[in-house]
Amino acid sequence: MTLSLVLSLLALAFVRGTPILLASLGGVLSERSGIVNIALEGEMTAGAFAAALISYFTRDPWIGAIGGVAVGAGVGFALGFAATRWRVDQIVAGMGINLICTGGAAFGLIFVFNQAGVTPQVPAINQALWPMVIGAIVLAAVLQWAIARTPIGLRLRACGENPHAARAAGIDPLAVRLYASTIAGALAGLGGVFLALGELNLYSDGMIAGRGFIALAAVIFGRWTPLGAAGVALIFGLLEALQFALQGTIAWLPSDFLQALPYIAALLALLGASGRYRPPAAEGKPYP
Amino acid sequence: MLDDVDLTCEAGEIHALVGENGAGKSTLAAIAAGELATDAGEIERSGRIGLVHQHFALIERLRVWENVVLGHEPQRGGTIDRDAARAFVREIGERYGLEVDPDALVESLPVGIRQRVELLRELARDPSILILDEPTAALSPGEVLRLFGTIALLTQRGVGVLVITHKLDEVFAHAGRVTVLRRGRIVEERPIAATTRERVARAMIGGEIPSIPAHEPTHGAIAVRVTDLAVTGAIENLSLQIAAGEILGIAGVEGNGQTALADALAGLTAFRGSVERPSSIGVIPQDRLLEAVIPSWSLLENAMLGRERAASAKPSWRIDRAAARTQCTAIVERFDVRATSIDAPLSTLSGGNQQKLVVGRALIDNPAFVIAYNPTRGIDIGATATVHTELLAARNRGAAILLVSFELDELFALSDRILVIARGALRGEFADRRFDREAIGRLMVSA
Repeated sequence: MTLSLVLSLLALAFVRGTPILLASLGGVLSERSGIVNIALEGEMTAGAFAAALISYFTRDPWIGAIGGVAVGAGVGFALGFAATRWRVDQIVAGMGINLICTGGAAFGLIFVFNQAGVTPQVPAINQALWPMVIGAIVLAAVLQWAIARTPIGLRLRACGENPHAARAAGIDPLAVRLYASTIAGALAGLGGVFLALGELNLYSDGMIAGRGFIALAAVIFGRWTPLGAAGVALIFGLLEALQFALQGTIAWLPSDFLQALPYIAALLALLGASGRYRPPAAEGKPYP
Repeated sequence: MLDDVDLTCEAGEIHALVGENGAGKSTLAAIAAGELATDAGEIERSGRIGLVHQHFALIERLRVWENVVLGHEPQRGGTIDRDAARAFVREIGERYGLEVDPDALVESLPVGIRQRVELLRELARDPSILILDEPTAALSPGEVLRLFGTIALLTQRGVGVLVITHKLDEVFAHAGRVTVLRRGRIVEERPIAATTRERVARAMIGGEIPSIPAHEPTHGAIAVRVTDLAVTGAIENLSLQIAAGEILGIAGVEGNGQTALADALAGLTAFRGSVERPSSIGVIPQDRLLEAVIPSWSLLENAMLGRERAASAKPSWRIDRAAARTQCTAIVERFDVRATSIDAPLSTLSGGNQQKLVVGRALIDNPAFVIAYNPTRGIDIGATATVHTELLAARNRGAAILLVSFELDELFALSDRILVIARGALRGEFADRRFDREAIGRLMVSA
């Protein structure tokens, strides 16, 4: 294996890992506030589809990107609202959101473009790919610092550990959780934007392909810390890159198996992690 | 819940609020602190009222200083000034005798120290009145003294302290004034100097103090035989025997192996050595909410928990609901559990009434062996008398009883024999009800 091959493999790992990384940062924020976020998949889908759609009609990929993030945030807000104001079971609400978003995007393709499966090519921001990769890693470090060191970070953690104690200290856990869920949606939406407009220039059905759930695994395996989740997300990126590199090199191995590699790795990682890592104590529990 | 209650707490006084479980003490505290709303009436506060709950509301996985400054963090350039926060914790700690390592994780701290953190958190907000709800329920005798030392320092600085308690010893040792609450009404309010313990006790329960039956000696065969019991990290080579019709008291400071001993005898933890005990066993667990009940379930369901087949006369694959109701009603009547209905969620009952159900569940089938771990922790005089009477009745019926308690008075009142445990080993034995309080106290802290 030559050096250039290794370098291109690593570069691909970063690119493939970044959307997972962005969504996992959102997952960390919402879970540390106490909201289980299995809706990352739907939020990524909504962000990717909205970005492509808006970019197509405005012919401006930057407006598309902002729109994708905003729609992701809106979906995150919906999850947060359902979880805090209506006290809906967070897993059920998350599943509902995932179904609505994937179904809504598939429906939107036919409704808007009159074709199933994929949008036409749209204006993209491929030139911003690497700045986004680097920005995502910097963001992970910033969030790590903010959660540990700032008053807002402390309050976020307090809400995820014991919202009653946070309430007694004058903090509104419902507001904190709603904000955290909304920002989480924006970050997952940005992950979707990265896929649709950063790497490619379209949206296609199944494009997210479980990356939201992989991001959730990264949250858990990264022990609910931004840098931990980012590291695990990049490892998943590396597995995806390896999968690309290995395709066709081993004749007897079906490519389907190689494509399943990152998911199998996530499953094994979660099996190893289960029980050993402690989630935030009040995660998934409605307040009050 | 509360009806026409007038209560004042003045600056610099220690005011005791006493009453049976369900009398409305905690409700009154929550209203005073602004956590609950009233239907009528008003609260006048000169300054902040701080409330320390009976079940601590700390965030376990945060550090001590994080718990203390949460919501009013000292800041420097947008970040928390951690040095200032640590210094703040140390400063209040030194001022009031509440020394704690500011960087310790709360979950790593024992109960007594957690209470200091809880106090620190309230004191950090500079209250003019501090309400302590059952502050000594989980403390050792030394910690209780220390707590009242802190309270004295607070009152010297002009803070009014309202202590909610069941323990009349503490009321008469430390308080300046006492208010008795019964069924949501104030039935007595006097300076301590102008009342007596008997008078306060009568006011609390609204009648005469129930007496415990006399302690007649019994002579039974050995029912429980423990040989060379060892539980990793807790106890080593511990041997003891309990006769039928005997209450064996275990005296010791919390965390010296009592939990491992009780769990091993109940079959709840792995151990080495041999344990011979009867198969019919009743357990009154240490932590009611954690180990004994499911609060959202009804009295009926909780009464059947763990003994789903006991109600049925003949073996069956289903629960005999009718028989279960009869049994639960029997427990409720015999053990004086005060509830609106056996179908009400257990969480609607006061702690003392929940505990009476737990005790009733453990004793109703007349087990040959009973493990009672702090059976009256945090419950009132009336409920305590019921529990003590029933434990003695079980003993007189021939049950062997292991009684673990952190209260020497309880051990002295009930035990036939007392073993002292310290650092996972037995340090002394006191038989024939000849108990020497001082000698036992010394052995409890021996190394």
